[in-house]
Amino acid sequence: MLLSVHGVRKAFADNEVLKGVDLAIDAGEVVALVGENGAGKSTLTRVISGVHRPDSGRVEVDGEAVTFRNPQDAMARGIQVIYQEFRHNLFPHLSVAENLFVKEDGRRFGRVLVSRKEMERAASAAMSDLGMDIDPHQRVGRLGVAEQQMVEIAKAMGHDLKVLVLDEPTAALDDRESEALFTQVRRLREDGVGVVYISHRLDEVFALADRVVVLRDGVVALSGRTGDLTRDEVVAAMVGRTVDDFYPKAANARPDGAALELDGLTCAGEFADVSLSVRPGEVVGLGGVLGSGRGSLLRALFGLERLDAGTIRVNGESVRPASPAAAIRAGIAYLTPERGTDGLCAQRSVAENISLAALGAHTSRWGFVRRAAERRAVSETMAGLKVRAASPDIAVGSLSGGNQQKALFGKWVMTRPTVLLMEEPTRGVDVGAKTEIYRIINELTADGVAVLMVSSDLPELVAMSDRVLVMRAGRLAAELTGERITQQAVLEHALEVVS
Amino acid sequence: MNPTLRRVARELRAAWMLLAVCVVLAVASPVFATSGNLLNVALATSVTALLAAGQTFVIILAEIDLSVGAVLGFSAAITALTLRHQSTVTAIVVGLLVGAGAGLVNGLLVTKARMPSFIATLATMSVLGGLTLQLSQGNPIAVTDYDFQNIGQARLAGIPAPVWIMVLVFIGFGVLLARTRFGRYVYATGDNAEAARLSGIAVDRVKILAFVISGLLAALAGFIVSARLSTAEPTAGTGLELEAIAAVIIGGTSLAGGRGDLVGTIVGALILGVIDNGMNLLDVSPFLQSVVKGLVILFAVLLDRNADVIRGWFRRRPPTAPAQTDQDAAELVSA
Repeated sequence: MLLSVHGVRKAFADNEVLKGVDLAIDAGEVVALVGENGAGKSTLTRVISGVHRPDSGRVEVDGEAVTFRNPQDAMARGIQVIYQEFRHNLFPHLSVAENLFVKEDGRRFGRVLVSRKEMERAASAAMSDLGMDIDPHQRVGRLGVAEQQMVEIAKAMGHDLKVLVLDEPTAALDDRESEALFTQVRRLREDGVGVVYISHRLDEVFALADRVVVLRDGVVALSGRTGDLTRDEVVAAMVGRTVDDFYPKAANARPDGAALELDGLTCAGEFADVSLSVRPGEVVGLGGVLGSGRGSLLRALFGLERLDAGTIRVNGESVRPASPAAAIRAGIAYLTPERGTDGLCAQRSVAENISLAALGAHTSRWGFVRRAAERRAVSETMAGLKVRAASPDIAVGSLSGGNQQKALFGKWVMTRPTVLLMEEPTRGVDVGAKTEIYRIINELTADGVAVLMVSSDLPELVAMSDRVLVMRAGRLAAELTGERITQQAVLEHALEVVS
Repeated sequence: MNPTLRRVARELRAAWMLLAVCVVLAVASPVFATSGNLLNVALATSVTALLAAGQTFVIILAEIDLSVGAVLGFSAAITALTLRHQSTVTAIVVGLLVGAGAGLVNGLLVTKARMPSFIATLATMSVLGGLTLQLSQGNPIAVTDYDFQNIGQARLAGIPAPVWIMVLVFIGFGVLLARTRFGRYVYATGDNAEAARLSGIAVDRVKILAFVISGLLAALAGFIVSARLSTAEPTAGTGLELEAIAAVIIGGTSLAGGRGDLVGTIVGALILGVIDNGMNLLDVSPFLQSVVKGLVILFAVLLDRNADVIRGWFRRRPPTAPAQTDQDAAELVSA
């Protein structure tokens, strides 16, 4: 065994996060580590990588018991972690080459002064080993997310890599970039590296991993070879119950009428000539790779991009929102993709966050918040969406990811929108809460809300949409309905495999 | 702990410190705890407190206003000059407009010109400080208007007018911050400006208005200073901006934005005022007074930042390790 942990326990204050976990990784093996938020994946990762010391149990490398006092100790034994927030480990203003060798012994590239030429040659070599063609002069901050991730992987490989832990590596990648990453992971496996792959996305897990280990409540709930397990078994082990219907899609589209109609909508450099309509109660999914214009289309509808041509009609009335406030008044709501940076005010209370976009409705003529009415409306919304919080007054940032996301939904439900634009509606949400969010979408459509949804989670897009429109290079490339809505079809149209 | 309780406990932290300082001084000096002296403290605190009230809005927005001292001096000089030829009311209106105008400029620089507030207000501080000296040629401008002098010198029910002004301002602006839609928008914008903008809040307008409030209260503070002394001193506001910022921070408002209130700020301002007063009573050298105040600021912020650790000392168990990342925190919370 390359790396193994035995009976590892770890508690923070009174809270025991790991309750005796065993895990083993062999050379040339990809082990997927899955589990809901709070199951202990991150803590286990941090034990393996020397950030946390276990309270009891032991960690072995090559069959030899080790004690890591800090991450440097773990790295010295060839264990590297690429965290979900890997960008924090890069220096955006330094070049690719400088980032790659920032931890290198200073004399590797010259005794006194660093020889840039040699360093950049080495960087080029390292990047082409990964099959990447990245200019080593390039400042890392200028690279795309996927390329930055590759730089981080190249950095890890430079250290006699034995075990690589990837924590949600595809969270910020589109489908094509994810494929490129999988190719790298497979290549590492061939080179005899042991890979621990942490992901919420079961399709990736089944496509990539040799074995799956499911953590739940700090113990291993299920472990086995990928070929011997079904998706349902894994999900059941994660949530601790069988999920009979993971995507509880309800068909609520009204037969006719149009809540949202776009005609020839154009935003130079982003998208062109987009015409579509969404009926009340209908969920229209927008497929496409990153940069296909799907995200900018939502932003434009919410008054965040300047439109160059075309018309927008909401319930038949022509609107041209110039700001989010105007869009909200026109009955448009926008569930933003990154709740931490663009969705919630983490320090403020759950109640304040939920009423924020609709505060005008609870304000007296003199600008005072009508607190009793506000509180009633917030409580109703929280009960309706099953937002679980000790109290509406606690900071929204202290809630679990799923409840934060439900609070974000609550904010937009409070504005009583005609059209709800949503981007990545279940990002960073655990499996159990995902289903609850799908139910929320069902309830909204049952009330006649029209939904235009962008999601990088293909199974979700396919399962929850009544209709899928695929965008490519800023234009609508295909419309898929009924049986024709498949992951395969969305991908093919998005990547121009068919035309 | 219940969040309301926790909020009170946080506020009490500054209040406890105030209480502790008062008890020590009451023991050390027989004069301290007399009503006359306590009114003196309130009177001396009023100017800093007004500046700090405006500064609180700005700091909750994760900005800073370094120009308040200069705005105070500038508007006081303009008001004093206006008083020579115009009525008291006109001069007051002119002075307030000057303060609000300076705040408007700061706000526009920060929002529309996208300048960091530290730089923008550092520049306006320098410009206004220089203009004040140019205008007055460096000399004090006498204020002989009797009605105007009353702003600083009159008493109502035995309490000096500046103290009344301070109390009314804190009630009024405290309500504005805690009870109105604008107040909510201030907190939301300070916590996460992007999320606020995407919730339909005109964040630029919120920020501009906060700077206007800060300028307006600086002008009001300027009236008190020049009315009390019967002169507008061109350097009257020098250094007061730092005193005001200190009061806000001691009061528990976070420089990172999104958190804080005016109750904390008034307590913070009173702590500084009490210490000033106490050191005068105890005959501490003015040079050392500055040293002591610096240490008090350090101590207050140290307490605020490390409250959890300190609380841990009083328990048998060691303090919990701080969460390493959001996800850690999430794990702890959800588990």
